[in-house]
Amino acid sequence: MIFGVRRSVAVAASLGTLAAVIIAVLSWKGAPVTSETFLVTTYIGLFLGALWAMYATGLVVVYTTTGVFNFAQGAIGVFAAFLYWELHVNRGWHSILALFVVVGLFAPALGVVLDVLIMRRLRTASLVVQLMVTVAIMVLLLSVVGDIWEADTPRRVPYLFGINNGIDLGPSQLPWHRLIVFLVAIAIAVSMRFLLRRTRIGTAMRAVVDNRELAALNGARPNVVSSTSWALGSMMGALGGILIAPELGLDPATLNNVVIIAFAAAAFGALKNLPMAVIGAMLIGLLRAHTGAWLDFGPDFRFAHLSIAPLLLLFVVIALPQARLEVGRLAHHLRRHERYTKWWEGLLGCGVVILLAAAFSGGWLDFGGWDPGAWGSRELNSANEAMALALIGLSLVPLIGWAGQINFAPLAFAGFGAFVYLKLAGDTGNGYWILMVGLLCAPLGALVALPAARLRGLYLALMTMAFAQAMSLIFFPHPWVMPIIGTGRQFPHIDLFGITFDDRRGFFMLMVSVFAIFVYALVLLRRSRYGRRWMAINDSQAAAATLGVPVVWTKVVVYAVSASMAGIAGVFWATVSGNVDSVQGFDLLIGFNIVLLVAAAGVSIPMAGIFLIFIPLFKGFGLRLEDAGNVDFLVTLLDIMTTYGPGMLVLGMVFNPRGAIFEMGRGFSPILPWRSDARAEIAAENAQKREPEIGELGLERPFTPEEVIAIDRRLEILDDVVPKEGYGTSRS
Amino acid sequence: MSAEGATPLLELVGIRAGYGTIDVLHGVDLRVMPGTVYALLGPNGAGKTTTLGVASGQIQPHAGSVLLDGHEVNGVSPDRLARAGVCLIPEGRGIFPNLTVAENLRMSTYAGVSYKQVQERAFAQFPRLQERRTQMAGTLSGGEQQMLAMSRALSTDPAILMLDELSMGLAPIIVEELYEQVATLAEAGLSILIVEQFAQAVLGVANEAAIMLHGRIQRTGPPEEIAEELTAAYLGMS
Repeated sequence: MIFGVRRSVAVAASLGTLAAVIIAVLSWKGAPVTSETFLVTTYIGLFLGALWAMYATGLVVVYTTTGVFNFAQGAIGVFAAFLYWELHVNRGWHSILALFVVVGLFAPALGVVLDVLIMRRLRTASLVVQLMVTVAIMVLLLSVVGDIWEADTPRRVPYLFGINNGIDLGPSQLPWHRLIVFLVAIAIAVSMRFLLRRTRIGTAMRAVVDNRELAALNGARPNVVSSTSWALGSMMGALGGILIAPELGLDPATLNNVVIIAFAAAAFGALKNLPMAVIGAMLIGLLRAHTGAWLDFGPDFRFAHLSIAPLLLLFVVIALPQARLEVGRLAHHLRRHERYTKWWEGLLGCGVVILLAAAFSGGWLDFGGWDPGAWGSRELNSANEAMALALIGLSLVPLIGWAGQINFAPLAFAGFGAFVYLKLAGDTGNGYWILMVGLLCAPLGALVALPAARLRGLYLALMTMAFAQAMSLIFFPHPWVMPIIGTGRQFPHIDLFGITFDDRRGFFMLMVSVFAIFVYALVLLRRSRYGRRWMAINDSQAAAATLGVPVVWTKVVVYAVSASMAGIAGVFWATVSGNVDSVQGFDLLIGFNIVLLVAAAGVSIPMAGIFLIFIPLFKGFGLRLEDAGNVDFLVTLLDIMTTYGPGMLVLGMVFNPRGAIFEMGRGFSPILPWRSDARAEIAAENAQKREPEIGELGLERPFTPEEVIAIDRRLEILDDVVPKEGYGTSRS
Repeated sequence: MSAEGATPLLELVGIRAGYGTIDVLHGVDLRVMPGTVYALLGPNGAGKTTTLGVASGQIQPHAGSVLLDGHEVNGVSPDRLARAGVCLIPEGRGIFPNLTVAENLRMSTYAGVSYKQVQERAFAQFPRLQERRTQMAGTLSGGEQQMLAMSRALSTDPAILMLDELSMGLAPIIVEELYEQVATLAEAGLSILIVEQFAQAVLGVANEAAIMLHGRIQRTGPPEEIAEELTAAYLGMS
């Protein structure tokens, strides 16, 4: 059962209750609790809960039946809501017809397409790749929505039967829409439970995730079964999106964030238990409604009541015993072709990066006859922003790429770094404090690492996501943390080595230098004992532990290293964005994008991180071209690359899990004169492809049957077993 | 033994197959006549499991043909073959660990038999499964798991049964019990293709045996003779 009798859970639960009581007493609004207000608040809570239950049901169904936790569930809802708006509001279709077309035709088709093109190939992929790919689908869907339905027109999705028709409840009215949503959500959850437990197709859906081959041997059609799962999951996402849109408004980011609450609800049911997930969703709904009605956290914690879901997610993931993950599924490990980058190669690479950046931004390069010229402030702004994100991205290389620890909270670490810097050097801009920031961020990383030590894969991803969300709802909006928000004051210019980096170009080059230092540090780290240990715990924690690697400590160190890199990067990110609202600046979606970029770059080799520098370079370059007013198609191309590029690259991991950049590097390295090893490797691989048996012996013609028999006799393989006729005939 | 000239129920002709670019089977010919038990013996890595993979449609051969009752079934998917009466109990535990015993049995109904029949026959043969019908199959003991896997063979009236290393990792007494079931099925006239590493287990039930080595069938004959030669082949001496 979910609620085991573990003492730690009981302690955590009672502490949580105590904290809740204290919070309630301290922040009581003083609103009178009457049976009427209580009833209304409860019905709002149940209604909210029902909406989230619909998303959570979809998540749980897809996870139980395909083994893939679908981060794109919310984005499917967003797409469906916009499509429904287009058909119903913009084109004037009847709501039932539009609903049928979107939920009954479009959504299942989308689910089947996702399954056939992508998910089916992910079965044997590692969990990191699985997660990254669903996140990429989420980001791509949201980008498509943003491109088709541009944000400049205000849009509203109407309630199904109008907001004013409904049951009279005394002080307020229960609109039909909300009643229907509630009933539909319950009906869906009940019927899904029935489908999964009581029908043969449902049994087959769960059987396929257990053992696909055996399901086929039983006579079930695995492909049809898994497509059915995706179609169902997609339909639930779509219906949820359409029904929740009237409440939240048609904003892709807001609608997409709903899914985090659904994650919390699903985690409450250990990701597989449907009734518990629904109860979790209702619980969050009630908590949210009642805290909103009775509690006032004051302006300092104005987003606190929104943080119930991430906090519950954190609590559930950390406190409750974990469900078994990946039972009977083998992790698919790839053969590593890696050679340590030599120290001078690292130096050379970093030098090339700095020169390239200087040449690009300074307009030193002559691009085939036309001169793009030096970057102006617009280009530099955009490039600086991308550069800071690339720096944050580098911090994930040891964490995700080497140690295999998924982390969706790089921006939370970065934001903490910015906060520390503001407190230390907010007035002077003294750059030497940046080193101190690096030191102070390490303990935060270690703190996150401690629960992470017992979590793996998906739960770790969910925990870091909840952590990031909680930080951006509770910590960063507090005026004491970021007092310059909304005041128009800027982060101070960084002052280092007697130079004040107040112009954008100088700052850009400063960041490029820091980038180069980071990359070089990674090259050295990878060669160190810790670099090897991180790789080892990624391959097999158990094996690493038996060899004497202290697994927990090793994880703590990698989190600390990553957090301090991210913290330092955060200083630059905050300085670039100046007085940007911290809630947006440390937004989860940007965090997802960074993680995607890093995943796409193929994080396992440090030099691959260098490729992150091309994003700011392309950004600035593209804008420069636009200003120059020529080569339109190139501008469009660069625009598409920067919007869809990361997502598409990650989708490429479906076919090539090591990441696109990795393969590019493999293609590139044999060209380098000193890489004879790379050339030899390619040659060996080609030889293996041709003819394994003969190639290995170095012979140029196949054996004759007599030779085969002679060899077998020499090796004492055959002896008295008389060869059948035709034995030894070599393969033609 | 069946009469010469009858159509074999399962026939492999010149099968070459393998994984990726590497061939494991280098021309396998094999005939299972109706109503006989054919034992395919051989050491690790000889290609026995791959042969079953080809026969059940899981692996597509690069060359050669698979004939089921005289009809070529190359390229037919494993699930279609399963519904047509090919029943392969795979190596290891052929069960769904995260499904209950009852749900595992329910999966057998894809072969076209009723749930009631599956349950009746399975529980009649293995009463222990009835006691554990609501238990997760992954929590059963090794022997019980193999019984659960075998109950698909017992309850779905297959045209041909293929057993892959039924004895692997099990206590001798349980192996004996399982092979008693196989013998009962054989007596009832079911055609069976058994793959085993160790001849001892199958000698009592097989009508015909073959030795497989290095992806080829080296020798076929009566089980007793083959068993002797198998020892020689394993030890690499005369």
